[in-house]
Amino acid sequence: MAEFKPYTYFQCPCTDTSFSTRRRIGDSGPSSEEETDEDERTFDPRAPRANYSLYPLEHLLYCEDCHQIRCPRCVLDEIVCWYCPNCLFEVPSSSVKSEGNRCTRSCFQCPICTAPLSISSTESPPEGLGAEYVAQSGPYVLNCAYCLWSSKEIGIQLEKPNSIYAQLAKIKNGGEPYISPKERRRIREERKGDGEESQGSEMTLDPNEKLDAESQFANLKAFYQEQLAESSPASALGFTGDYGYGSPGALSRIMGLYTGSSFGDKKSKSRSSMMREAQSALEGLQISSPSASEESIARLRASGWEGTCSTAQRLAQAHNPRFVSDLRPIAHLLRTKRSKRCKTCRHILSKPESKVQNTRFRIRLVAPNYVPRIAIRPLQPGPAAPQALLLTPLRPTQFVLTFSNPLFDDVRVSIATPAKTPGRFGSRVTILCPQFEVGANTDVWDEALREGGAGAGKGGEREKRRTKAEASEGQQQAEAGKVWERGRNWVSVVVEVVPAVLKVGEEEKKDEKEEEEEQEEEEGGGSRYAGPLREDEDILEIPVFVRVEWEADVAQDEGAGLAAANNKDNKEEKEKRELAYWCVLGVGRIARD
Amino acid sequence: MSKKPVKGEYIETDTGNKVSRRSQIIGTTNIILGGKTVIQAEVIIRGDLLRTYPPSNPSEKQGNPVAVAIGRYCFFSRGCELRPPGKLYRGTFSHYPLKIADHVFVGPGSIVEAALIGSHVHIGSNAVVGKFVIIKDFVRILDGAVVPPNMVIPSFSIVAGRPARVVGEIAEGEIEGFDLREVYRSVGNA
Ligand SMILES: [Zn+2]
Ligand SMILES: [Zn+2]
Ligand SMILES: [Zn+2]
Ligand SMILES: [Zn+2]
Repeated sequence: MAEFKPYTYFQCPCTDTSFSTRRRIGDSGPSSEEETDEDERTFDPRAPRANYSLYPLEHLLYCEDCHQIRCPRCVLDEIVCWYCPNCLFEVPSSSVKSEGNRCTRSCFQCPICTAPLSISSTESPPEGLGAEYVAQSGPYVLNCAYCLWSSKEIGIQLEKPNSIYAQLAKIKNGGEPYISPKERRRIREERKGDGEESQGSEMTLDPNEKLDAESQFANLKAFYQEQLAESSPASALGFTGDYGYGSPGALSRIMGLYTGSSFGDKKSKSRSSMMREAQSALEGLQISSPSASEESIARLRASGWEGTCSTAQRLAQAHNPRFVSDLRPIAHLLRTKRSKRCKTCRHILSKPESKVQNTRFRIRLVAPNYVPRIAIRPLQPGPAAPQALLLTPLRPTQFVLTFSNPLFDDVRVSIATPAKTPGRFGSRVTILCPQFEVGANTDVWDEALREGGAGAGKGGEREKRRTKAEASEGQQQAEAGKVWERGRNWVSVVVEVVPAVLKVGEEEKKDEKEEEEEQEEEEGGGSRYAGPLREDEDILEIPVFVRVEWEADVAQDEGAGLAAANNKDNKEEKEKRELAYWCVLGVGRIARD
Repeated sequence: MSKKPVKGEYIETDTGNKVSRRSQIIGTTNIILGGKTVIQAEVIIRGDLLRTYPPSNPSEKQGNPVAVAIGRYCFFSRGCELRPPGKLYRGTFSHYPLKIADHVFVGPGSIVEAALIGSHVHIGSNAVVGKFVIIKDFVRILDGAVVPPNMVIPSFSIVAGRPARVVGEIAEGEIEGFDLREVYRSVGNA
């Protein structure tokens, strides 16, 4: 069985729509009615939706203005810069717009296995004395060092070892020259300029050419734009190569659609009816030949299963190829650096330095600096191999929960759990000490100095006390209402669980009736007992509602002077802070019979 | 653990490195350890795989040649192996130095042949980091990943699979978790 590590996930309150309203009411002093309401709600960590709201503490941010946890769902991402993950060059957003979101240098991935491709000469390297000074020459091929694929397999060789993107854009698989849509446009324009009769351009376009999807689209687009420009002179000004939604011609056409009347002049309307359709490959017309599918079948016969692409390989390509021989090297997708804003108040929560290779942050408001961390460990030292630790059904087992306070104020923590964990197998849970105070986190530097330098952090001290406690663990007994252990900015409490019996299947159905009465409120009927144990259903997860209250030092806040002056009447509220959220503690796997 | 530990498991150097007596460090004169680095039992470091190809500008050659350079607070778990990468270049085979910055964790059984590993990098267990791989700062390589040769892994990446790909991003709050000072301190010498 896989090793089990106890875990704590935090639920971002943004997923709980009822929470925000309650919280707003709660700001003016929580009434007892609301308290009970909150107590009644139990968070089910196994509910399908829970998946999307639970995060490790490290994945969460914290908004200092809203005084609330923020998760990826309640922050807004803003792109700071684009860069290639392979060559690490920044790509300006203007070229992202024009060239697309791929690296246009020489960064390519293997179409078979996604490993990076490297370029090498096909010529055998020079040998003998002074060989290292001989300049190597082409042709060059792209090689995959992982699966040993080579661009030779698709018949592509390159002349230069650099600017591979530009070179590849001009070569078809097999080595024939490829005319890119851009190039096509250039030729088209040239022709228009020279007049129809002139054939002066170095490349001529074949009217019966088989086009790839991209070129076909480009040709069709150009053709229809031309038609539209001809049909309505008013729009000729607007159509400068873009879709032209903003052009007066397009606008009048759209208005015409809605009003049913001719918004534009009648002349243009009568002309637009004369628009013709594409007639050749130059205009984007592709006649599907009946032999095409026969061809594919013949190819399939010849190349066999190995010659066809996997779905993943196919999806990575823009042109949807069927055969391995049609695959192209994949230019690396660009990556972004992003800053994050609070969706509610729009304040920035995280902002990285804009330089690609700089890993520092200008702003970084992360939840671990504001929200107490919760660590779990079994109270009993347990068997030698902790990975073999399984919870025995019906045997009371105790765990130590350690809350460490990152704030520079003392906090009061209240924790609550349902008596029985939700789900098909309810385990009984008791927190021996549901309310306690945790000391403030003193300055790291003070502590480091006290520890005698050498960068001894907070952990050193913590470790020491813990080991001391462990030594006396034999005698110490967990008592209800009492804190188990206490340190400078941390407190441990004991939680006792009685793991459920994992009974499933036919047997269960027989004594369903007896069970039902007992389990009704949690399970809501015996039918849910049916079926085998689901994935990870044997993990004992405890939902815990945590409420942290503290008196924040108003003077520490930015702009606090103003705020204090404005809020003299309700100064008390300003100083009181509260944070409440659900957590899930994964404590262990329950043994099956 | 050994049955009768007469001496401690680790040899401690002046700069605070803890090197297991049961590790295999070959070519020690070509290895630089920055200090406070832990090398566990059965770790292999191939300092003998030196660069033989002449450097591009001969003036840079001075002092001891370096095959493996390791920064501070690194942790090499049991049975992992560090090998300088080698390749055939213009008809000559040569190794090239393996450089590792600070706070780099390498899990048990992993093989590393990278060219460069930045700071705050966590490599899981039984992973393979291929030849001439460049790993930037704050990267996590998950257990069993096979990082293909020549791959460049940008900062804040989570990498997994065979061949390895970037499967996720390191969250802002995970940055502190890469610090290995506590891990270093927790290594006793029994
Ligand atoms: Zn959220
Ligand atoms: Zn690139
Ligand atoms: Zn490959
Ligand atoms: Zn906010």
